[in-house]
Amino acid sequence: MTALRGWRIFALLGVTAVFACLPLFLPNDYVLQVFFRIVLFAALGLAWNLVGGYAGQLSLGHVAYFGVGAYGMAMLYAHHVPLWLSVLFSALIATGFAAIIGSIVFRLRGPYFTLSTIAFAEVLRLSVTNLPAAGGAIGLSTPALFPPGAFWKMFYLSAVALAFVSFLVNAWTSRSRFGYYLMAIREDEDTAAAVGIDTANYKLRALMASAFLTALGGGLYGSAFQFIVPDSVLSGEISVQIAIITMLGGAGTLLGPVVGAVLLLAASELFKNKFQESHLLTYGILIVIVVLVLPEGIVGGLKQLFQRKTKPPASVAPLAATPAQGGD
Amino acid sequence: MSTILELRNVSKRFGGLRTVKEVSFTMDSGEILFVIGPNGAGKTTVFNLVSGFLHPEEGQILFQGEDITRSAPHVSARKGIGRTFQIVKPLPSLTVQQNVMLGCFMHTGHLHEAEDAASKILDFLQMSHLKDFEARGLPLAALKRLEIARALATKPKLILLDEVVSGLTTSEALALADLLLRLREWGVSVVGGVEHVMQVVMKIADRVVVLDYGAKIAEGKPADVVKDPAVIEAYLGAKYKEMAH
Amino acid sequence: MPRFLTDFIQACMDGLLTGALYALIGMGLALIFGVMRIVNFAHGAFLMVGMYVSWVLFDKFQVNPYIGFLISGLFLFVFGYLVYRALIQPIRDRSDFMQILMTTGIALILVDSVQLKFGADYHQTIIDLTNRPPFSFGAFTLNRAALLSFVIAGVFIVGLQQFVVRSRTGQALRAIAQNREVAPLMGINVTMIQGFSFALGIAMAGLAGGLLLPALYLFPSVGEDYTLKAFVIVVLGGMGSIEGAAIGGLVLGMTESITSAYLGQQWALAVDFILFLLVLSLKPSGIFGRQRA
Repeated sequence: MTALRGWRIFALLGVTAVFACLPLFLPNDYVLQVFFRIVLFAALGLAWNLVGGYAGQLSLGHVAYFGVGAYGMAMLYAHHVPLWLSVLFSALIATGFAAIIGSIVFRLRGPYFTLSTIAFAEVLRLSVTNLPAAGGAIGLSTPALFPPGAFWKMFYLSAVALAFVSFLVNAWTSRSRFGYYLMAIREDEDTAAAVGIDTANYKLRALMASAFLTALGGGLYGSAFQFIVPDSVLSGEISVQIAIITMLGGAGTLLGPVVGAVLLLAASELFKNKFQESHLLTYGILIVIVVLVLPEGIVGGLKQLFQRKTKPPASVAPLAATPAQGGD
Repeated sequence: MSTILELRNVSKRFGGLRTVKEVSFTMDSGEILFVIGPNGAGKTTVFNLVSGFLHPEEGQILFQGEDITRSAPHVSARKGIGRTFQIVKPLPSLTVQQNVMLGCFMHTGHLHEAEDAASKILDFLQMSHLKDFEARGLPLAALKRLEIARALATKPKLILLDEVVSGLTTSEALALADLLLRLREWGVSVVGGVEHVMQVVMKIADRVVVLDYGAKIAEGKPADVVKDPAVIEAYLGAKYKEMAH
Repeated sequence: MPRFLTDFIQACMDGLLTGALYALIGMGLALIFGVMRIVNFAHGAFLMVGMYVSWVLFDKFQVNPYIGFLISGLFLFVFGYLVYRALIQPIRDRSDFMQILMTTGIALILVDSVQLKFGADYHQTIIDLTNRPPFSFGAFTLNRAALLSFVIAGVFIVGLQQFVVRSRTGQALRAIAQNREVAPLMGINVTMIQGFSFALGIAMAGLAGGLLLPALYLFPSVGEDYTLKAFVIVVLGGMGSIEGAAIGGLVLGMTESITSAYLGQQWALAVDFILFLLVLSLKPSGIFGRQRA
């Protein structure tokens, strides 16, 4: 296992390096922008994976953190907070926001969590739309994080960095007590509590980490496109997109969100004209397919095919009677 | 011997119905105590009350002298109360070993230490050969043991085994009973709950508490309790009712 | 009567009129979510389909929406049954997580299909009744169309409630809700009854959609807010209670109307959701709910 892990880390570094080098060969800003989006959504998917994948809590309101990241950065910068600090602070605000939401909704089980995540995101969108201080429905212009010369190159690299960090957080989670606890919560909350796991607390931690990373993504996105309106960075569509990317690739797997983001966004780019009109239809059909035939996602499904035999073969001896000892 | 668990006049209502009525008993550490009673007697409710999954309206529950009446389940677990579930609740997509590791994590944050500790417990329960299989494919007898293994991994002082032998064949049940007797080696007191399978109870229980319609109707050594007219009445009465249906 | 009081009473009455339609929507979801435990995130999308059915009838065949809504209801009943058999039943025993995903997917498909077929344009349905001056008494006025919708909705609310309580099908439904393992032993065809109940719940959304048509601009994503609103109603009324959902609908209508009157209409939806979060966090059993065993 350890040897494999070493090998994996080199492979990971290699892939990251190749991706990071791409912008050098693709000087076309438009293509770079497409790659920026793919990598950014991979990062968002990885962030969502902590809550939706490992902890098994279906959040359909992650756009709230994304939006706080984008709006927070723009508004803090407007109040003379240094540029990068405003990105960091808005991510911290989103984390605090997640702490408040989580402490309310994680006491509830089942569909109420999902409903609450949507309700929170909607309250935020409606509030921003109706508050002139936040630009209202007209929106806000955002500060550029990078100078015009290497604009998209730098944004692309930042997205790679964010995706890499998110990946590391996921990788650590999958091999730590924290991750095991989240998976226990996903599989059965009663059992989790019976082995001493404070389920609400662990779900909260996962959500806060996820919100932090998502808000950083929102800050990048908001800055890259220079102008934000509630319907762009607070739209419920983004929440659904993040979730479907992860589910399609494989929730609770390391590579799933990356695979999902590449597939979904590349497809949407290739079939752009067809796709733009009916991208929700495509999402809808994808969701139905995933739920019906591929509930573990692409990566999860492949794992099932190639990994260990998961069922004991009939030949495995059942539990034999204990050799007489102790007893009488 | 010191008292490990004490219930004082504990009552629990669902809707208008009291499913547990002023139940009191104490148990000493190291003891193997069985709570028995016909289906619906309130055994599972008692287990849920002791492990913090439910809280009583009246009465008090003391664990090692400490009031745990309103403790949350994970708090009770950390104080040293392990439990299994009547309807087995494995973590289906995790392997047997990973299931057990979850219990071990209460005492270590290191993956390798948890793996080692889990292996030892699986050895003890004679299911090492199953450790790399996902829990979802296992037969019931193995799942019942997995429940015990996971609870044991938290190093509990008291372990609550709800219907631990129900659904097993007699030979499976007796094999498991031998293992339960050996739980004493781990310094664990045991509260078992069963409906029938008196054979197992007679073999390993130090003491028995009998519930019927949520109330305690008898308590004592297994051999004495089975002769108690109230107990016979409770079981036979239930039988007759079942037949009438 | 002082002005502030008449304003308040007026807002309450307007809210009650809207609330009756909300009650209908909420009862439909209560049947599906509360009683059957299917988490239907497509409720608003089905409502939207109901609106489009009525609108097509009105636009192409000059059918008055106050007749057309019946056809909407009927259409949605059949459609709901088919959707249940094709997509919901296969995942009936899967987790909430999967049910939410599935019904979200269904909602996206419905909204975008309608958009592909009818475009994203806004449509207004103007009928004679909406143009007539409001019905007035004393210092108060009532919109005639809303009043008519209120009366019709009232009939269906009482009808549905009586059906669930009294009919054999309703009894079978409640038996299934209480114990799905035992129900088949009592000779109940669980699959049939569940499909029927799901269809009935969706039909309620269809009826409500038809009745809402004269009051709203129509566009493909018009139903989106109603999914959450329907859940707000069910939660307000206490999970699983069809009668509770009716009251929850009225309460939500009044809350919105009062919010609109005092804070402005743009805040109505936000207040809905805040109310929802408050109820969930403070009294998850609902304002009118009993504690569940």
